[in-house]
Amino acid sequence: MARNWLEYKTDAWVQWCPGCGNFGILNALQRALAELDIPPERLALVSGIGCSGRICYYVKGNTMHSLHGRAIPAATGIKIANPDLVVIAEGGDGDMLGIGVEHFVSVGRRNIDITVIVHDNSVYGLTKGQAGPTLPSWWRTKALPGPNLHDNLNPLLLALASGYTFIARGYAYHVSQTKELIKKAIEHKGTSLVQILQPCPTYNNIMTKQWYEERIYYLDEEDPNWDPIISSMDEFKQKIGLIMGKMVEWGDRIPLGVFYVNISKDTFEQRLEKVIANYRELPPAKRPVSANGKPLIDPWEMFRDKVIRTA
Amino acid sequence: MSVDNVDLKLLIGGPQGGGIESAGQIVLKSFVLKGYHVIGTREYQSNIIGAHSYFTVRVRANRPGAIHFPVDAATLLDAESIFTHFTDIKSGGFIVYDTGAVNQKLRLIAPMPKPLKQRLNKFFQEKGLEPVAGSALKVAEENGVKLIGLPMKELIRKVAHETGAPLSRASKTINTMGLTAMLYLSGVELAWIEKAINVHFAAKKKVADMNVYAAKLAAEYIDEVYGGPCCFIPEGPHLGKDVMLATGNEIVAMGKATGGLTMQTYYPITPASDEALFLEGHRNLELAPWAEEVLNLKKLGAVVLQTEDELSAIIGALGAGAAGARVATSTSGPGFALMNEAISLGIMAEIPVVITLWMRGGPSTGLPTREGQQDLLHAMFSGHGDNPKIVLASGDHVEAFYDAIKALNWAEKYQTPVIHVLDKYLASTVTSLHREDIDPLKIRIERGKLVENPGPGYLRYKITEDGISPRAPMGKTIMTVTGLEHTEDGMPTEDPVVREEMMAKRRRKFETIANEIPSEEKVVLHGDPDAKITIVSWGSTKPIILEALKLLEAEGIKANFLQIRVFYPFPREEVLDVLTRAETVIDVEQNDLLQAAFLIRGFTGFEIKHFVKKLTGRALWDTEVAHAVKRILETGEREVVVNGGA
Repeated sequence: MARNWLEYKTDAWVQWCPGCGNFGILNALQRALAELDIPPERLALVSGIGCSGRICYYVKGNTMHSLHGRAIPAATGIKIANPDLVVIAEGGDGDMLGIGVEHFVSVGRRNIDITVIVHDNSVYGLTKGQAGPTLPSWWRTKALPGPNLHDNLNPLLLALASGYTFIARGYAYHVSQTKELIKKAIEHKGTSLVQILQPCPTYNNIMTKQWYEERIYYLDEEDPNWDPIISSMDEFKQKIGLIMGKMVEWGDRIPLGVFYVNISKDTFEQRLEKVIANYRELPPAKRPVSANGKPLIDPWEMFRDKVIRTA
Repeated sequence: MSVDNVDLKLLIGGPQGGGIESAGQIVLKSFVLKGYHVIGTREYQSNIIGAHSYFTVRVRANRPGAIHFPVDAATLLDAESIFTHFTDIKSGGFIVYDTGAVNQKLRLIAPMPKPLKQRLNKFFQEKGLEPVAGSALKVAEENGVKLIGLPMKELIRKVAHETGAPLSRASKTINTMGLTAMLYLSGVELAWIEKAINVHFAAKKKVADMNVYAAKLAAEYIDEVYGGPCCFIPEGPHLGKDVMLATGNEIVAMGKATGGLTMQTYYPITPASDEALFLEGHRNLELAPWAEEVLNLKKLGAVVLQTEDELSAIIGALGAGAAGARVATSTSGPGFALMNEAISLGIMAEIPVVITLWMRGGPSTGLPTREGQQDLLHAMFSGHGDNPKIVLASGDHVEAFYDAIKALNWAEKYQTPVIHVLDKYLASTVTSLHREDIDPLKIRIERGKLVENPGPGYLRYKITEDGISPRAPMGKTIMTVTGLEHTEDGMPTEDPVVREEMMAKRRRKFETIANEIPSEEKVVLHGDPDAKITIVSWGSTKPIILEALKLLEAEGIKANFLQIRVFYPFPREEVLDVLTRAETVIDVEQNDLLQAAFLIRGFTGFEIKHFVKKLTGRALWDTEVAHAVKRILETGEREVVVNGGA
C-alpha cells in the first residue's frame, strides 16, 4: 500500500533558491518513500553540509544533519546498529566527492545496504559558487575568479571501482523518472549510488536547465534491450565493457538511468550475520546491554584465555 | 628468603619479532603459577622485525606498581641486547647470554640507533676496550655482575635432534632456554617453568613439548656448568587463586564488553588497536548464568568495525549512538586530532559516545610506540565552539576496567562524548589481577533517560530542568539530530532567544554532570591527608607514585598523593582543598607543558611550584620519582627531569 507523499513533508520552510534542482530531488525522494510504503519511523536519512544537507529538515523520519563529507560514515553507523532501518545518505558533489570522497569509496567495499544520493551541481553553492569536483577543467562558472584548473571526477566509474552494486544517474527536474531510480536504489540490497544532475540557477551559469536538457537521454529509452543486471562473474565480464562505455559518455550526450546492478555480492549485514551471534535479531541498537543493570557477561569466564588457574 | 622479601626485577631483551613478548609472558606466568603478583612492561620500537625490544618484569607478594632499574638478572641473547643493557644489572646480579654472541662487533649491529652506537663507541674507547659484545660483558663482570653463558648453537642443535624439529623451528626455543636459565638461577623450580610453558602454548602441544624439552636442557646445563641455583624462592601467598594476566589494552576491552558495549569502531593506530582487536576476537559474548536466566539467551554479539579512517570511526560511532547502540571508538593522539570536529557534533547533537584515547609520545608522529602523557589538553579542549564534555583518566588496570564501564554509563546518561584517557605504558603493561580486583557485579549498567516508547510529539532536545532530554533511539519515532543550533524538535534555528535557551540547557546538563559525579570519583587522595608534602599527578603514574611514596617513607619523608581522575568537569573545590593544605606541592607528569598543572592553575588559580617530568617515552620508575622528590625537597629546585631506561 502506497502512502501519501505529503506524509514525508515537514513544516519547515524550504530555504533553497527558486528554481534549485534540490526541489526536484526532494520531491522525487518523498514520492519514492511513499510508493515504497516506508514508515517515517523506519527511515534514517543522513545529510552532509551544504545546500543539499538541508534535506534532512524537509523529510519526515529519523534524520541526522552530520558533518561536511560525513553523511556516509554516519549512515553506515546507523545501518550497522539497526539494519531494519532504511538508510539514505545525501550530499552534494563537493560533500560526497570532495571532502568526503574516502567514505564514498570505502562504503563500496562493504556493500552495506544504504542508498547514496549525490546532488550534483558541480559547484559549492552555500559558500557562494566555488568549483565542485565534477566541474570540468577550464570551465569558469560565474562566481569563479578564474577558470577551474582541476579535472572533473567521474562518480559512476569511481563507484564501480569502489564496489557499489547499484549505480544510476538521474536529472533533478525529471521528478518521476528520478523517483523511479531512487525507488530501485532503495530496493536494491547493497550499496547504491544515485547521482542526480542538478542545475544550480544561482552559481552554475554553464550547466543550466537548457544545457542539460539538450544533452540528456535515458539508456533504456535509447536501447529497449538495455539490461544492467549482473548476476555472475561471467555476466560481469560480458557486460562491463558496454556499461563502462556508457559511464564515460559525457559532453554532447549524457546518459541517464540505471547503469549497473550487481546482484551477486553479499551485503555487509549478511557478512556480519555470519560472524556475529544473533546479529539480525539483536543488532547493536536493539540488543540488551544488561540483565536488570547487571552485566551480561562474567569476564572471568568470557575472557578465560587471559585467566590462569593456579593450583 | 621469606615471601615478603621477594622483590625480583628481571629483564629479557631481543630483536622485535624474535619471541620477546612470548618469553616475557612465560616469565610472568611462571611467577603467577608460583603464587606471586607480577607486573611486566614492554618497550618496543616502531618496527615489525629486527629492532631491539625488551620486557621488564617485577615480582612480589603484593602487586608491584612500577618497574625500575637496575634489575637483578637479565637474559640478553643477542649482541644488541648485551650492548643496550650491560649496565642495567645490579652488582650481585647476573646476565644470561649466548656464548656465540661475544665476538660480535658493535659497528656491525645494523638496527642499533646511531646515537647509542656513538655513545657506546666512545665508552669503549675511553676504557681501552674493543667494541665487541664480550667487552660489554666484561664491564658488567667488573661491576659485580655474574656472567652465565649458554652455548646456544649447540643447545639448539640438541633440541632439533631430540625433538625431530627442523633447526629453524628449534632455534625459536632460544628465548625459552635463556629465560629458563634466568628463572632457574633466580630460584624458580623447573616444574613451574614447564607448567608456564604448557599454559602459554596450551593450543600448540608440539610447540609446548619442544619448549619444555629446551627448558630442561637449559636447566641441566646450569646444573652441570654453574652448579645450579643456590636456593629456591618460597611459594607465594596466592596459590589456589584465579589470576587474570592482562594488558591495559585488554582490560579496557574487557571493561567495555562487561559494560554492555554493543559496537566499537576504530582505525588501526598504536597503541590503541590491540584493544579493538582483542574485542573483535571476543565479539561473540557468552552470557553469564545470571544473564542467561533473565534474557533466555546464550550468546550476543558486539560489532567491531574497522573503518577507513578516524573520521569515519568517530562519525560511524555517532551514527550508531543516535540509532541507540552503546558505542565506543578507540584511538591515539593523531587519530584523536582527526576526530575533533565530530566531538563537537557529539556535544551539540547530544549523542552518547565513548572515545578511548591511548596517548603516546608526540608531537606529530613523535614516538609512536612510546609513553607520553601529552594529550590531556588536547582531550580537554577538543572540538570547536564551547565544548563541555567528560574527560576521565585511569591510573591503573583496575581503574581502567571500571572506568571503561563508567564511561559507557556516563555517555548514555549524559548524552555526550566521554573521553577516556589512557596511555601507552598502561596499554602494553601486563599485570596480575584477582577476582576481588575485577568484580563484574560491583558496578551497575545505566542508560539514563533512554525511552523505548517515546510516543507522538517526541522532542529530541526537550528543555528540562537538569538539561537532559529523554533520548529515544532511531526507529521508534521520528526525530532530527543535528549539529546546527536547534529548537526542541531538532529543527535548525538562529533565533537569539532559542540560542540562549539551548546554550543554557547544555550548560545545565554540564552542571548536572558536575553535581552527580561523586567527589571520590573525581579525585583520590592517597596516603596521609595531613602530610605536608603533596604529589599531584594523573593517569598511569598512579601505581608508580604509590610505590615512590613507600620508598620516601622508608627514608622518613611523609608525602601524600592527589590523583586527579576526572578533569572535565574540573573538580575545582576538591583539588583546591588538598593543595592549599600542603606545604610543598610537586606535580609529576610525562609531558613538557606540565598540562595538569596548567589546568589546575586555570581552574583553581593555584600555582604549583615544583615539577618532576619524564619525556623520553620510557616507563617512569618509582625510584626516579622518589629521588626527584627528595632532590626538590633538599634543593628547592623548580623542576627535575628524569630519564631512566634504554
